[in-house]
Amino acid sequence: MKGRAVQLAVIMFVVLFLGLLPFALGGQPYYLEVMTSAFFYAVLTSSWSFLAGLAGQFSFGHMAFAGLGAYTSGLLCRYLGVSPLYGILAAIVVTTLFGFGVGILCLRLRGAYLALFTIALSEILRIIVLTEHQFTEGNRGLLLPPLYSGITHVGQYYVTLVLLLVILGLLWWLARSRFGIFLRAIREDEEAAAALGVNTVRYKVSVFVLTSVIAGLAGAIFYHLVGIVTPEIMQLLQMSLIIAFAVIGGLESPIAAAFGAILCRILLETLRGFTIFGVHIELGVWRYAVFGLLLVLTLRFAQNGLFYPIIDYLFMRPARREAVAKRKQEVEDVRG
Amino acid sequence: MLEVRDVHKHFGGLQALAGVSFTLQEGELVGLIGPNGAGKTTLTNVITGLLKPTKGQVWFGGERIDGLAPYEIAMRGLGRTFQVTRAFRRMRVLENMLVPALAIHGRGHIKSLRRKALEVLEFLTIDHLAKEFARSLSGGQQKLLELGRLLMLDPKLLILDEPFAGVHPKLREAIYRFIFQVNEEGKAFIVISHDMDSIFTLSRRIIVLNCGQVIADGDPLSVKEDPLVIEAYLGEEKNEPGSTRAEEASFA
Amino acid sequence: MGVHPFVICWLIFAGPLWAAIGAGWLSRVYHRKGLERASARFVGGLGGGAFGPVFLVPVHFLTPDLRKWQWKAGTGAALVLELFLLFALLQPQNLCVTNANYVVNQILNGLSIGFIYALMGVGLTLIYSVQGIVNFAHGQFYMLGGYISYYFLNSVGDVNPLLGIPIAGLFTAILGGLFERLFLRPMHLGRVERPSEYAILMTFGFGFLLEYTTLGVVGPFPKMVTQPYVNLPRLEIFHFLILPNRWVAGCVGVVLFLALIYFLYRTWWGKALRAVSMNKMAASIAGINPLSMNTAAFSIGTLLVGMAGAALIPIFSWVPGVGAKASTRCYVVTVLGGLGSVPGALLGGLILGVVEALGAGCYPDPTKGAAYRDVFGLIVFALVLLLKPTGLFGRKV
Repeated sequence: MKGRAVQLAVIMFVVLFLGLLPFALGGQPYYLEVMTSAFFYAVLTSSWSFLAGLAGQFSFGHMAFAGLGAYTSGLLCRYLGVSPLYGILAAIVVTTLFGFGVGILCLRLRGAYLALFTIALSEILRIIVLTEHQFTEGNRGLLLPPLYSGITHVGQYYVTLVLLLVILGLLWWLARSRFGIFLRAIREDEEAAAALGVNTVRYKVSVFVLTSVIAGLAGAIFYHLVGIVTPEIMQLLQMSLIIAFAVIGGLESPIAAAFGAILCRILLETLRGFTIFGVHIELGVWRYAVFGLLLVLTLRFAQNGLFYPIIDYLFMRPARREAVAKRKQEVEDVRG
Repeated sequence: MLEVRDVHKHFGGLQALAGVSFTLQEGELVGLIGPNGAGKTTLTNVITGLLKPTKGQVWFGGERIDGLAPYEIAMRGLGRTFQVTRAFRRMRVLENMLVPALAIHGRGHIKSLRRKALEVLEFLTIDHLAKEFARSLSGGQQKLLELGRLLMLDPKLLILDEPFAGVHPKLREAIYRFIFQVNEEGKAFIVISHDMDSIFTLSRRIIVLNCGQVIADGDPLSVKEDPLVIEAYLGEEKNEPGSTRAEEASFA
Repeated sequence: MGVHPFVICWLIFAGPLWAAIGAGWLSRVYHRKGLERASARFVGGLGGGAFGPVFLVPVHFLTPDLRKWQWKAGTGAALVLELFLLFALLQPQNLCVTNANYVVNQILNGLSIGFIYALMGVGLTLIYSVQGIVNFAHGQFYMLGGYISYYFLNSVGDVNPLLGIPIAGLFTAILGGLFERLFLRPMHLGRVERPSEYAILMTFGFGFLLEYTTLGVVGPFPKMVTQPYVNLPRLEIFHFLILPNRWVAGCVGVVLFLALIYFLYRTWWGKALRAVSMNKMAASIAGINPLSMNTAAFSIGTLLVGMAGAALIPIFSWVPGVGAKASTRCYVVTVLGGLGSVPGALLGGLILGVVEALGAGCYPDPTKGAAYRDVFGLIVFALVLLLKPTGLFGRKV
C-alpha cells in the first residue's frame, strides 16, 4: 500500500511541476519553445519505445509517420483551406491507413529486416516529399496555419504537455493490460505465444497502427505549432535522436523513455553553448556527436537505460520487496 | 475427440508423414513413441497448426482443425509444450501463466485468473517463484512452468513433447504427478518421449511411429512384444538420411 | 495525353495487381502441397506481374519446380521487357526509347559504379555471414574512408588518388576492429540482455556517432579531391561514352573483390572465416576461435568499404551525409544478392548500379530523375524484402 502512495505522490508532483513551470520560467518564449519541443520528442520517444522495447518491433519509420501526419494536415490546409482541426483528423486517418498497410507488410519481417524495410520506406517517402516540391514546397518548407488563432507560447506549451500526459497515460495503461502482456509474449517467443492462444497477427498490426497514429498525431499537432515543416524531419538524424533518447531513457518503459526524451532534449539545447568554470563553450554540431557517444555508452554499460532504474525503484521494487520478504518468511517457517 | 485422418506431410522431396491415422477419446492418456526421425514432432506440429498437412485431415471436438492458425487451435482447447522449453524469459513467472489465461478468458477478471495461476503454481511447487523472471529459473523449474502455463489454457488435450528430457528423478516424479492428476480431471494427454520407462508407466495405450507411419497402436504389453516395433528400434543399421532430415525439417 | 489503352489492358490483366495476387496465390498453393514456398512467392509475383492469370492458372495445376533459376530469370526478364515496352509506349519521345546509345551509356555508367557498390556490399555481407548481424554503421565507414584519403592526399601533395585507398582502408579496418572488440564482443559472450536488438542499436548508434563526430571535425562544406586518376575526363569507344575515372574506380572494385575471393578461398584466415560462417560450433571444435573471427570479419568488412569510399572520393564530392546514403545502398546490395552471399553481393551491386543509372537517366524529368536516383534502388529493395527476403543467392533466413 505504501508503494502505491509513493507512486501517486511522485506522479502528482511531476504533473504539478510541469504544469506550473511556465510561470516559474516567467513565460519566456525561448524556454517555452524548448519545453514544447521536448514534450513533442517525448511523445515520439515513448511511443517508439512502446513499439520497439515492449513489442519488439524495431521500426525506423516512426519519424516518417510523424512527417506523414504533418504533411497531410499541412497540404490539406493549404489546398483545401480547411481548419487545422480537420487537417489533424485527416492526418489521423491517413496514418491509420498507412500504419495498417505497413504493419501487414511487416508481419513476416523480423529484427534487422524490419529495420531495413522501414528505413527504405521512410527514405522513399522523404525523397518523394522533397522532390515533388511544386506540391510540398520541398526544402523551402510547407507553411501550416496555427492550431487556433491567437495561440501563445504558453498555449503551445500546454497543448503539447496535455498531449504528452494523455499519450503516456494511454501507453502506461496499455502496457499493464492484457494488450501489453500479449505484446511482450509475442516479443519473447512468437510461436510459443501463438501456441498459447494469442492472435499474433492482430496484436502485431495493432501496436504498429497505434504507435504510427500517435506519431502522426503528434507530428500534425506540433508542426501546426511550429508553423512550418520540411522533409528534413524524416531524415535519419531525427530518427536517430528518438532512438538515442529512448535508449538513454529506457527501452522497457514508455514513461522512462519520455523522461529521457525531455531531459535529453533540454540537454541538447543547453549544449548549444554553455559556460563552465567561466569558460564559454560553443558545441554547435558536436552536440549530436555527444549524444551519439551517450547512446553508445548507455547501450554498452546501462542496457536498461539511465532512467529506467529510477522508475523501477519507485514503481516496481515495492512489489519485489514483498515477494522477497514472503519467501524469506516461508523459508523461516520451514526451518523453524 | 481427436481424429487424425490419413495425414501426410511432404517437405519438398521428403516424406515426413505418410498416412498417419488414429483416434483419441476424451480423457485418454496416450504415449507416442518412435525412433529418431519417425515424425513425432512433425505430427505434433501438424496437429497444433504450425504446419499444414499435405494430405489428410485433423478433427478435434467434431470440428476440422487442419488449416486453422495455431492460436485458433489453442483457443479450442488443444495445447502443447516444446522439446526445448520456451518460457517467456523476460516476463515474470506469473505473467507467463497469465498469457494463455487472458487469451481464452478475454476480458476476464485478472484477480481470479491470478488466483488460479497461483493455485496451479502451488500444485507444481513453484509458487514461491511467481514474481521471478522466467529466465532466472532452473531448467527443471522452467519445465514445470511450461506445464503450468499449458494448463492455464484450460485445454481438453495436452500434447507434451519430450517432457522428461534431461530431467532428474525427483522432478520426473513431479511431472508424473502432474500428468496423472490432470488426466484424472478428464483431460487427455499425448506424451511423446524416448524415455521408455516413463511411457510404459504412464500410458495405458501406446502409439508407435516409424518413418511417418503408425506401426503399432495398443496397450503397452502388446506393443512391447510387437515384432515391427522391435525391428524399428533394434533393427537393421539403416541410417536413412531422409529420416533425420524429417525431424530437422519439422523444426523449420 | 490520354493513357494508352495497352497500359490499361496491362494493369487489368497483369501488372502490380496480379503480381500481388500471384505472389500470395502461388505461395499458398505451393505451401499446401508441401513444396517450397519462397520461390513460389517470388516467381508468382514476377509471373503474375508479367502475364497475369494466364501464367498463374497453369502453374497452379502443374506445379512445376519453381526453384530452378530458369523460372526466376525467365519471368524476371519478361517483366522487365514488358515494363520497357510500356515505358516506350507512354514516353515515346524519351531518350531511353529513341537513343539506344544513350541507354548503353547509362548501363555502362551504372556498371562502373556497380562494382564499387558490390565492394561496399560484400563487406556487409561478410560481417553478416560470420557474425549474424547487420552493420548499420557500414556507410559511415565508407564516408570515413573517403575523408581519410582526402586528408592524406592533401597532406602528401600531388600523387595519384590510388595511393589514398590502402591508407584509408587501414584506418577503417583498425577502427572497425576496435569497435567490434570493445562494443560487440560482449554480445557474443552472452553478457547482453537483448542480443538481437543490441546489435541493431549499437551499430546504428555508432554510425550516428561517427557521422556527427566527422561533421564536427570536417565541417559542413563539401570536400573535393581535385586530382583525377587519369587525366582523361571522357573517352569515346565505338560511339559509347566512357568515363575513365569512374572505370578506374570500378576496376579498383574488381581487383579488391578478386583479392577478397582469393583471401576467402586460398588463405587459412579466409577459410576459417568461411568455416565460422557455415557452422560456428563445428568451427570452434576445429580450433577456430569464433570471437577472433568475428573481429576479423568486421575488420575486413570495414576495410573493404573504407577502400570503396577512398576509391570514389576523386569522383564525387564528399559530405558526412554520404555515409547514410551509402548505408542504404549497402543494404540494397546485400539484400538483393542475399545476405551472406559473396557472389550475390557482386550481382546485387551491379544490378543496383544499372537500376539507378537507368532510373535516373530515363525518368521524364531529368532533374527529378537525379533526385529520385536512390528511390529506384529503394523500391527494388522493398520489393525484394517483401517477395524474396533471401535475395538471389541467400541462405534461408
